[in-house]
Amino acid sequence: MRNYLFLLLLLPGVAMAQDHSADSAWFREHYVKHEYYIPMRDGIRLFTSVYMPVDSAGANHPILMTRTPYSCAPYGLEAYSGRYYRGYLMQYAREGYIFVTQDVRGAWMSEGQFVDIRPYNPHKKGTETDEASDTYDAIDWLVKHVPGNNGRVGVFGISYPGFYSTMAALSGHPALKAVSPQAPVTDWFQGDDFHHNGAFFIMDGFSFYTSFGLPRPKPTTVRPRGIRFQSDDNYDLYLKTGSLAHFAALMGDSVAFWKDLYAHPNYDAFWRARNDRQFLTDVKPAMMEVGGLFDAEDCFGAQNVYKAIATQSRGTDNRLVLGPWYHGEWASGNGWFLGNARFGSNTAEYYEKNIEFKFFQHYLNNGTDTLARANVFFTGENTWHQLAAWPPAFSERRLYLAGSGGLSFDGASSGYDEYVSDPAKPVPYTEDVHFHRTREYMTDDQRFAARRPDVLVYETAPLTSDLTIAGPIVADLQTSISTTDADYIVKLIDVFPDDFQYPSSFVGNGTHYPMGGYQMLVRGEVMRGRFRKSFAEPVAFKPGEVTSVRYTMPDAAHTFKAGHRIMVQVQSTWFPLVDRNPQQFVDIYHAADSDFVKSTIRIYHSSSIILPVLQ
Amino acid sequence: MRICLALLCLIFSSSAFAQDLGWVRAHYVKREAYVRMRDGVRLFTQIYYPVDSGAHHPMLLMRSSYSAAPYGAALNEALGGSFWHRFIRAGYILVFQDVRGAFMSEGIFEDIRPYTAGASVDEASDAYDTIDWLVHNVAGNNGRVGALGVSYPGFYAAMTALSGHPALKAVSPQAPVTNWFMGDDLHHNGAFCLMDAFSFYSMMGYPRPSLTTSFHKAFDFRSDDSYDLFLRTGALPHFATMLGDSVAFWDSLYAHPNYDAWWAARDDRRYLAGAHPALLVAGGLFDAEDLWGTLHVHEAAGGDFVLGPWYHGQWSSPRPAFGLGHIRFGSNTAAYYQDSIEFPFFQHYLNDGVDTPARVNVFFTGENEWHKLAAWPPVSTPMPMYLQSFGGLGVSPDSGYASYVSDPARPVPYTENVGFDRTREYMDDDQRFAARRPDVLVYETEPLASDFRVGGPVQVDLSVSISTTDADFVVKLVDVYPDDFRDTAVRYPMGGYQMLVRGDIMRGRYRRSFSAPLAFTPGLGTSVPFTLNDVAHVFKKGHRIMVQVQSSWFPLFDRNPQRFVDIYHAADSDFVRSEIRIYGDSRIVLPFIPDLP
Repeated sequence: MRNYLFLLLLLPGVAMAQDHSADSAWFREHYVKHEYYIPMRDGIRLFTSVYMPVDSAGANHPILMTRTPYSCAPYGLEAYSGRYYRGYLMQYAREGYIFVTQDVRGAWMSEGQFVDIRPYNPHKKGTETDEASDTYDAIDWLVKHVPGNNGRVGVFGISYPGFYSTMAALSGHPALKAVSPQAPVTDWFQGDDFHHNGAFFIMDGFSFYTSFGLPRPKPTTVRPRGIRFQSDDNYDLYLKTGSLAHFAALMGDSVAFWKDLYAHPNYDAFWRARNDRQFLTDVKPAMMEVGGLFDAEDCFGAQNVYKAIATQSRGTDNRLVLGPWYHGEWASGNGWFLGNARFGSNTAEYYEKNIEFKFFQHYLNNGTDTLARANVFFTGENTWHQLAAWPPAFSERRLYLAGSGGLSFDGASSGYDEYVSDPAKPVPYTEDVHFHRTREYMTDDQRFAARRPDVLVYETAPLTSDLTIAGPIVADLQTSISTTDADYIVKLIDVFPDDFQYPSSFVGNGTHYPMGGYQMLVRGEVMRGRFRKSFAEPVAFKPGEVTSVRYTMPDAAHTFKAGHRIMVQVQSTWFPLVDRNPQQFVDIYHAADSDFVKSTIRIYHSSSIILPVLQ
Repeated sequence: MRICLALLCLIFSSSAFAQDLGWVRAHYVKREAYVRMRDGVRLFTQIYYPVDSGAHHPMLLMRSSYSAAPYGAALNEALGGSFWHRFIRAGYILVFQDVRGAFMSEGIFEDIRPYTAGASVDEASDAYDTIDWLVHNVAGNNGRVGALGVSYPGFYAAMTALSGHPALKAVSPQAPVTNWFMGDDLHHNGAFCLMDAFSFYSMMGYPRPSLTTSFHKAFDFRSDDSYDLFLRTGALPHFATMLGDSVAFWDSLYAHPNYDAWWAARDDRRYLAGAHPALLVAGGLFDAEDLWGTLHVHEAAGGDFVLGPWYHGQWSSPRPAFGLGHIRFGSNTAAYYQDSIEFPFFQHYLNDGVDTPARVNVFFTGENEWHKLAAWPPVSTPMPMYLQSFGGLGVSPDSGYASYVSDPARPVPYTENVGFDRTREYMDDDQRFAARRPDVLVYETEPLASDFRVGGPVQVDLSVSISTTDADFVVKLVDVYPDDFRDTAVRYPMGGYQMLVRGDIMRGRYRRSFSAPLAFTPGLGTSVPFTLNDVAHVFKKGHRIMVQVQSSWFPLFDRNPQRFVDIYHAADSDFVRSEIRIYGDSRIVLPFIPDLP
């Protein structure tokens, strides 16, 4: 979500360097733009842009809506947004869809007060509002006022607009037939952009709120100006800035949500009210959650909205799509590769043509839906699978972190490995010096990390046959530390053979990277140690005492091919992706620089990683 | 030297230089001859001479162990475009010879064959005999001969300078291999350049059973990742096993871990003061292979001298040389060298040219300007900078220490990226990747208030203690760019760049003597003094000076077991962690130049 500006560019396929002049001309000829202020039940009016077919005779046009805090720009009746003709949305245009984009309450040109991830209110009365009621009111107005509509509405959105899509699904408006939350922001403490398991994603959080978080005193079409960083090097900047208190000073006191983050270090009532999953109990429209297996921002949301509906709202027509994608890549037109990892086909195009379009056509425009419940692309094997459930039936297989760097299915052994975690020299999350958090770190080569003395490395012998995992991965560590808190980062890695090369038919990113011996990150996740027993009630470590740190990482869908090795790396920093743990049990949001100390971390050989191995 | 093939490509490569080959073909004749040496051995020799044979043509000789190819009628395409073309256009006779025992020459090859001062056949006598034959047998020569060569051929150029033949008037040893224990390709201060040595000898070291026009097949490493391959292979005995027992020089390396009489006989500096011809020594400030030889041949023999901001051989490249890695130098420094220094030098001594260059031409990086100097190194003020225990680099020592654990199982990489071939660019690479490791100590100044020029050798005097009985010490002098530094021509984040200006390694056991190594006493403080190769750099105002200290630099250098054992015969189990302490009275002495003409 941090990359939201980037995403806005990408989303409609704007970034594609193609000549769209023919499509542009076609779109201008066949579509007319309107702008409306749609009144909500409390009198607040939301700015809405509507592109409708010129030929609106016959009430046969479905409505496809996105509600966004990122602006429905460009504004003005003559300024057309490229998102509709530059990318895959053109196929909807050819079918005569009515496109609606709305600035959410308090954002850009809409009236009212913006609230970040405004909590859903299941007990609204009278003119009380939330994002669900705003969606209801918007849909109600649209089906009554937009000429030619067929009375069926779909909602979709990526990232923050994915959150608004989930909220739309809770609106209960009868005209809303199909919703696709894509990488939806869902729980900003457990997963998604700003925390994973309670550890703060400082870089994404800070760079997002330094621009997005600024107050909007009145409706505007102008983007806020964020802090200009005089730096090419986020590692340096974030390390030099120091403890979180310094970031608050840089941010100033006008960013409401930044202050909320500091006021709620633990999973308290504030956060619980913002856990969307709990409300997904009686979901009416057909749902299709879409997410990237390598989404650096909202890998959590898509998977967990799907699971919440699947378990709490069993009657809902609910589907899941997982592809090998960065945040929003499925809508970019190009899903051949991510970083150095290649997938052998254009997975984005496949999604756009064969999944999303069919979904909306079926529910909004009398198409036929033959989609399986789960459509998942398995990397390594590089094929799409149509599955009846997600995760599919699997068996839990433990791989033990053994002595001498071994990784073994054969059971626990005694002994331990140790390293010193130094908050003054944190392990970088990626190899190269750069400023903007990369999308590619999710599949990056981990050799740079394996070569550090503060990263433990465990690996199997080359596999004799393929091994496919599908579902959640559990890190089950037995550990002791010399201080009172520490973070744990466990990374599951596919080690390519020394002579590995992709087939020439696999489109890549144009660089020649040494793929022999590549250590591909398949899944990595952090756990803030203090939350090992409860996210609501952190517990200090007792120095030297062995304790269990067990946590679940996001789902993976990957085949470790025969001849590859499985590797696990363990480290205690991942910087500046994740803020540094002072390694003492203090309030991290108010810690002083002097609170940060070295800790000796022991990982016992009774530790394991539990893989969901496909039968 | 390791990249000899790459260099050959540079000097002799194909199509890049073909543009004027037609002219060469019209005006030159190629002849191949076997020239008989005093002991009857015949050396394969190619002569390119002008069709017009008035007796006024100077000769340039290059003796090489890297083949005089192409053999037969085919013309060397480099003559159509590279720096050679300047000499071709001026009517020089060009002579390429396979040295004794190499490729098409008879006899037995011996790596860096020791100079014997006339006592027996050596490379100097072979050069003498060759020159003598040339002036008597090549039509149209003017009786004046020059010699030049880069890298290993630089060694042969230095030996040619010792031939004493009266017709030899001018010699240019460029990046000459000079002392393979102290510096240059195979060791620095006794630490073994494992990667360069292995990749070189796995190709160049195998015996040549009979005369041949072909290179030995390169070793198939089946790896994209030198760090992984060299770490996994383990202790040095495993490398000997991989190579087999037929590589004579490899066996010699293992038999002579210390600076003994065998090595001393191969120290060319001892003889060079007596060289008679005019000399032009040239080399690169960022030459990963033979910077040491460049500096020390000049130191020993004097003469004209050139230091530019170059990788190994870059000065003789036909390609524009505007930079190295991410660092740009603002002008085509190779063209300047070829046009304004090298060609006029030979013209003056061989062809009555009048345009003599200045004695010393040195390019100062940072400032990016050539300076003509009276001598190298110039007069400087020694500026001691202390490695303060809290990370400062300043004029006063302190009584504390900083420490790290050096783990031979996780050595510090010499460069950031995964790759197989040793890069040329590591010499000015960004060191941020290293600064972020817990086993690298970092010391830096505040941003400089004014430009700070350094020129000459850099003395290091570390005050250390270690928990084991041996360790290596790598000291890196780094220029830290300001955060807002921008270079739009470079696709690299240059703000905060940590440019390696100079780095080198000292194998701790040699801190008192290279011939009599000495164990450390665990926990006992001791000094480790050594000298870094010369620098010519201006730390600009607003930049910082940084020093990094670490105990491995892999796989550039072999890992020290960190115990006082014979490293060439150490077992994998001999390699242990060592806790290294660097005390606050450790210092680096910068050759500060307040004012340069």
